[in-house]
Amino acid sequence: MKLILALLEKTRPLFQKGGRFTALKPIYDAVDTSLFSPLARTSRAPHVRDPLDTKRYMSTVIIAVAPCLLAAVHFFGLRVLAMVLVSYAAGGAVEVLLAVFKKDEISEGLLVTGILFPLILPPGLPLWMVALGSAFGVLVGKELFGGTGRNLFNPALIGRVFLALSYPKAMSSGWIEPGQGLVGRLLEYATDAVTMATPLAAAKSGTWAALPDLFFGNVTGSVGETSALAVLMGGAFLLIIGIANWRTVAAMLGTFVIVTAGIYGGDPHAIIWHLLSGGLLFGTFFMATDPVSSPIMNSAKWVYGAIIGIATALIRNFTGYVEGVMFAILLGNIFAPVLDELFVTAHVRRLREEG
Amino acid sequence: MVGSEKQGRPRLQRMPVARLKGGYNIGLAGRPVSRVVDLAVPGRLVLPLVSRCFRFKDIRVEEGARVSAWTVLATDPKRFSAPLIAAYGGTVRLDEIAGHIVLESLHGTLSSGSSGSDRDAQAGARDGSRGAGASGGSPADIRDQLVTLGAWQFITDARTDLPVDPAGTAKAIIVSTIHLEPFVASAEALLHGRLDSFVRGLEYLHELTEGGIVHLAVADDAGFVTDLAALVVHHSWCRFHTVTPRYPFGHPLLILRRLELGRDSDRPAWATRTAGVLAIERALSSGAPSVERIIALGGPAVSEPVHLKAVIGYPVDEILQNRLCQDDVRVINGGIFTGSDVPREQSGLDVECEGLTILSELRKRHMLAFARPGLWRNSYGRTFVSRLCQSGPAERLNTTLGGELRACVSCGQCMDVCPVGILPSVIHKFLHADEIDEVERMRVDLCIECGLCSLVCPSKIELLSDMRDARRLIREEHEVQEKLEAKAKREEEKRLAAKEARAAAEAGA
Repeated sequence: MKLILALLEKTRPLFQKGGRFTALKPIYDAVDTSLFSPLARTSRAPHVRDPLDTKRYMSTVIIAVAPCLLAAVHFFGLRVLAMVLVSYAAGGAVEVLLAVFKKDEISEGLLVTGILFPLILPPGLPLWMVALGSAFGVLVGKELFGGTGRNLFNPALIGRVFLALSYPKAMSSGWIEPGQGLVGRLLEYATDAVTMATPLAAAKSGTWAALPDLFFGNVTGSVGETSALAVLMGGAFLLIIGIANWRTVAAMLGTFVIVTAGIYGGDPHAIIWHLLSGGLLFGTFFMATDPVSSPIMNSAKWVYGAIIGIATALIRNFTGYVEGVMFAILLGNIFAPVLDELFVTAHVRRLREEG
Repeated sequence: MVGSEKQGRPRLQRMPVARLKGGYNIGLAGRPVSRVVDLAVPGRLVLPLVSRCFRFKDIRVEEGARVSAWTVLATDPKRFSAPLIAAYGGTVRLDEIAGHIVLESLHGTLSSGSSGSDRDAQAGARDGSRGAGASGGSPADIRDQLVTLGAWQFITDARTDLPVDPAGTAKAIIVSTIHLEPFVASAEALLHGRLDSFVRGLEYLHELTEGGIVHLAVADDAGFVTDLAALVVHHSWCRFHTVTPRYPFGHPLLILRRLELGRDSDRPAWATRTAGVLAIERALSSGAPSVERIIALGGPAVSEPVHLKAVIGYPVDEILQNRLCQDDVRVINGGIFTGSDVPREQSGLDVECEGLTILSELRKRHMLAFARPGLWRNSYGRTFVSRLCQSGPAERLNTTLGGELRACVSCGQCMDVCPVGILPSVIHKFLHADEIDEVERMRVDLCIECGLCSLVCPSKIELLSDMRDARRLIREEHEVQEKLEAKAKREEEKRLAAKEARAAAEAGA
């Protein structure tokens, strides 16, 4: 530990102004501040600051998706890990290149985007497509808007939409059959696995997957979304530590249940089935709750969640698409600035009455 | 309202809880115990000429002069000639430390009856012309007397938080005994054995405002609530409010707004804190100038956090001698939220000092700090394991920023913690987009500069500075606008006058 610190201190001048590798300063800083807490001190009041920083804030999402990742490896093989690595590498390369180019810091938002992106892709997708989508998501979904904190849409979803529109065939056929038994595909790479229809697609032709399979994840679908149990575990973690806003989750799931109940005449089996199937839960806990692309006011999050929940149910049941979460969340993202304007204005007006 | 007694117990008015939002008590180690330690006579006095509100520019003594105790050394010409008073006699040194008057070879002692307890309250004043007592003169005379004795400085305008002109008047005065910022002198320490003096001080305030209502805010967990309530319950002019003890709920401006006294700008409201009431009582009862302060000495780097009784100008390094557990520290005049750091060797207690908070400076880097479970971390959010085990020792927070500056990710913590309900992150974005009109629309004027938004921001954005900048820019913009309007008006008048003159000339022709 002391050795690494000494090495970092020794190489620091190389990356500072006038050093040999000044251009690579963002990379050095990222490594330096990730390994060791920075020495930055408060220069004005308040003299003490909260220990929570963006690194920790973003890292919590990685912990939250850990159950999903484990379930994914179990059902779809070690290939999943390769997808995560490729996603991080491609997205990271874009991020680092832009940081070097802009002489800016490497933002921690990548920690989240890099791991969420492969989890919403079909498990059989070629790795080069994963790389392309991740790079596109970071570049167009985030950096073109000005970087982390300024993006209008969820970058991972932008990457997925790009792939879905560019490679519709690959994106609708890479559904690997989940591994069975206790070991599953934990020891397989699984490139030649049989593909099958996702539960939502199969339901359109009248075959309904069993509820326990949906709950535990023994069905095909996007990498991280199949196991409702794993998603709920991660989602509960995010709600408990307060990183995901419970209002978005409550509004989204609540309205989804209400609309689905309306469509299926209140049939409890259909409601639960729809809740557990597809990417609804994953999208709810990990995508819709992204604070950057959500409206900021708590009151607005209720409406935001409701828009996504209603749109998901409608797209699933009344359009040519079998799954609607992705488009619904992007639709919610579009509404977010408008909701902000409305709710912030209303809030400020209330403040006026207060004096 | 208070004033009626119900079943032998005074009825307390609880501040409407629903109207108090946000706020946060940071668990800073080193909370001073209520015990007050008397400090010995210092080797010299180092009196700062500048404090938060005062600029003592008008120096009344000469270099090398021998002055006696209670001499006015300087006054603030812009603030009703508020005096800077020497607690001891000594030799004046004007140039030894820039921005300070130094008094050497101290002699004389504080007046025998100056220890401030009830027992001594009636002790005679040294100077016969002083010590008239509140009932002796008109409110205007009493105010002049308070100004001379350096006790008027404790009264502020509740809206601006700045000292008020003694010539003005107020319909209400807010007395806040809730001092939650870590660390300033606590009401428990200030009021111990002085409740009677305090209530007498409240009576004086009532007279000073010529019959104004005294709104007394007390933390609902304060040890003296029942005793104090019993003492003021018979005064119909005193409203007793208990408030949830959460920082910054004791801020007079917040109390003013929550009591809905804030809207009527024609009726100014004054504010003062516990120390102010005691200083006024002492000045009027004994005629002694207000040169003593009870201050808190706390913070993680203090070996024995305690309250101290010291005089204005007491050198900071003498106070800290043998009281720190380490040397590499930051000395903050006041609390961590609103205080400012002072050079340890080169300063003394200023007239507004309520406490010294000592933090250790950050020198050590921790490996993978962001990824640690954080058993002992002290955080507003819930991302550290410490949330599960509240019983652990308080973290010894130091001056670390705790991360790097990043763009706002709209996490919403600043809005949750804000006690006045404004949206610091939104204001920050508008401010940096140069949209001052939008900033103004976002009601940044409501900010009480408590500093909680800066504390909790995970992106380490200096939100408090942004709020201050925003308010300053708006003020400047208004001034420019007023000037332009005045100019336009003058030109219009000139034009009209010229037109009239021309018309008159034509008529004459």
